[in-house]
Amino acid sequence: MTERITPAMVNSSTLSALGSSLEALERTTDELSSGRTILEPSDNPYGASQVIDLQSQLDGLSGYESNAQDGISWENTASAAMSSINEVVQKVRELVLQAANGTDDQNDREMIAEQVEQLTDSVKQDANAQYAGEYIFAGTATTEPPYEQGENDEYKGNAETISRAVGPSASITISTDISTLLGNGEGSADGKLLDTLRTIAKDLRGGTPEDVKALSSTDLGSLDANIQTLTQLQATAGSATDQLQAALSRNEDLQTSIAGALSNTQDTNMAAASIAFANEQAAYNAALRTGATIVQESLLNFLQ
Amino acid sequence: MSIPTLQGLQTALSGLVAEQTALDTTGNNIANANTEGYSRETALLEPDPPLDIPAISTLTGEGAQLGTGVSVSNITRIRNVYLDAQYRAQNSALGGASTQAEELAQAQAAFDEPSSSSIASQMSSFWTAWNSLASSPTSEAAKEGVVAAGEQLASTFKQLSAQLSTISSQAGEQYAALTGEGGEVENYANQIAQLNGQIKLSEEAGQQPNEMLDRRDLLLDKLSSLANVTVTEEPDHTDTVSFGDAAKPLVEGTTVNWPQAITEASGGQLGALLGLTGPKGALTGLQSGLDNVAETLIATVNEHLAKPFFSGESAATLAVAVKPSEVQASGTKNPGGNEVALAIAGLRGGAAEHGYATLVEKLGSDVQGAKDEQNNLQTTVTAINDQRQSVSGVSLDEEMTNLITFQRGYQASARTLTAMSELLETLIEHTGVVGL
Repeated sequence: MTERITPAMVNSSTLSALGSSLEALERTTDELSSGRTILEPSDNPYGASQVIDLQSQLDGLSGYESNAQDGISWENTASAAMSSINEVVQKVRELVLQAANGTDDQNDREMIAEQVEQLTDSVKQDANAQYAGEYIFAGTATTEPPYEQGENDEYKGNAETISRAVGPSASITISTDISTLLGNGEGSADGKLLDTLRTIAKDLRGGTPEDVKALSSTDLGSLDANIQTLTQLQATAGSATDQLQAALSRNEDLQTSIAGALSNTQDTNMAAASIAFANEQAAYNAALRTGATIVQESLLNFLQ
Repeated sequence: MSIPTLQGLQTALSGLVAEQTALDTTGNNIANANTEGYSRETALLEPDPPLDIPAISTLTGEGAQLGTGVSVSNITRIRNVYLDAQYRAQNSALGGASTQAEELAQAQAAFDEPSSSSIASQMSSFWTAWNSLASSPTSEAAKEGVVAAGEQLASTFKQLSAQLSTISSQAGEQYAALTGEGGEVENYANQIAQLNGQIKLSEEAGQQPNEMLDRRDLLLDKLSSLANVTVTEEPDHTDTVSFGDAAKPLVEGTTVNWPQAITEASGGQLGALLGLTGPKGALTGLQSGLDNVAETLIATVNEHLAKPFFSGESAATLAVAVKPSEVQASGTKNPGGNEVALAIAGLRGGAAEHGYATLVEKLGSDVQGAKDEQNNLQTTVTAINDQRQSVSGVSLDEEMTNLITFQRGYQASARTLTAMSELLETLIEHTGVVGL
């Protein structure tokens, strides 16, 4: 004897077929409307942990990106300040040459000395350049200006460096130690720029033939040495900017590739999902149609 | 010796009665076609003892036997007890797997991954905040950002930990409700014990109490979803029911032994509830896993700082211990220093994050496994139930056919009665009446 089939069996299998068709349809609808294949970790446990990892990497990269951009702006401010110092120093050099050629009298040299003193202040002002409220030439003592205006030439900053992280365990130093150029002024006799400028002013006011001679020999020599140092500092800052630019473009490449990996892991393949949706809809319709037909059939319909 | 004059009427009457009983049984089947737990019934018809007629043949002098009609020997239910045992075994497993899947799905919902409010996102924001502080170590806004991100992360940890505790304690409450006084276990056991008594009496009186047997079987089916059930039918037709790994049978004759201690080895819904919240259970594992992540986070962040940023030692106690003004980007007094902030921002992708991702992966595969198991068992249970339905279920087509068969049988018996009546009429009214 064949297996007996009862209406209850037909009903339960029809219902369970309808249920599973509808469930598949709902799942695909969720994927299509959210654009995600991983709606909860059980959909793809390994994928879910990958998403956490990749998303964090991506967030990290966007942090590194803003660090690099911030570093570049910092370096731009520093370079502008150093260019301005350079202009001042070139101007002083011209004045020294003018005073040293002997045609000027003591009055003229006094006036030049005054100009040199004003220019010294403007150098110190450039050294007090700020970026986003921080003094960029003060080492890590960024809240106080490294140089005071006026007589006191002492460096108030420190020799520590500031860096920006541009990748995991990759950071670039963005601070410039301006004290290697400017020094501590007259009293220190360190031969740095401020000392040189103070000496030049003193020699201009001195008026003796030795002083005038010193202008064109030792003073000019010191000034040239200082210019050399400045050029080096500018080169270092320029190279930091280049490194930051390179890090920035590497960062963009990485962001593109990680965003791609993230999308592969968690985003819905719209084409595939749309086709699956159409298939599931057809299956559901078929289940509904056959179900509606079979549950109505009975011998009762044919008995008179 | 000849055939008794009125025997034909008796035979026809027995046919009428038997066909009517069969019709009634069919009617009862149709009425119960959609009753849960009902087994179709059939009236067993048996020929009545024949009448011995000695020397009926004048030719050979041999006797013969004449049938005297039909009677209904019994109305039995059609049921396969082996399928019942299989069904109950799988149903227990299904009860366990469903509970497991349900509870773990709740835990998964509490984790809320992937989303922007999950721990993973908050942790990522926390590292980003430290990175911003590294870029502007003197900024008050950046310090506040670090503390705000830290507080948000800590409160998400706390919330999740509390949600997991709630799920655990709800599982405990559910277990207590099912097993407690007036709970399902006791309720079912009492009804089964009562039915045992009634069934015993009926059987002793020589009746087959089909409806009570069906009800007892249905109760055993329901009980099997709570824990493993083994049923032994005793000679007096009572069922002895052993339940999970309880020491004594839950029901023995009319006695109920409940409450009893059971363990997670009992299977079914109760076994799963005990297992989930037990020391090696999945919920307990999630809670301790989350605590480990919190501990790692606290340790890896605090080791870079002179004044601890986080306080607490578990997910539930995690908190930010500093005010924004106390956040230091550097270990030195220099305002522009940022080496500490850089180091903490560099914890991104480190042990805490990795531990959390592993926890989520483990939870995901547990939920996936539990759901798969639930689906497989559901298929098995449905298949066994279909087999049971195939044996015991009411088929309306069949009943309709039976209805016509028995109706026709009844009509034919009635016709026999009419024929017999006419026969007797001839005999009584017309015999010996000549020429009137």
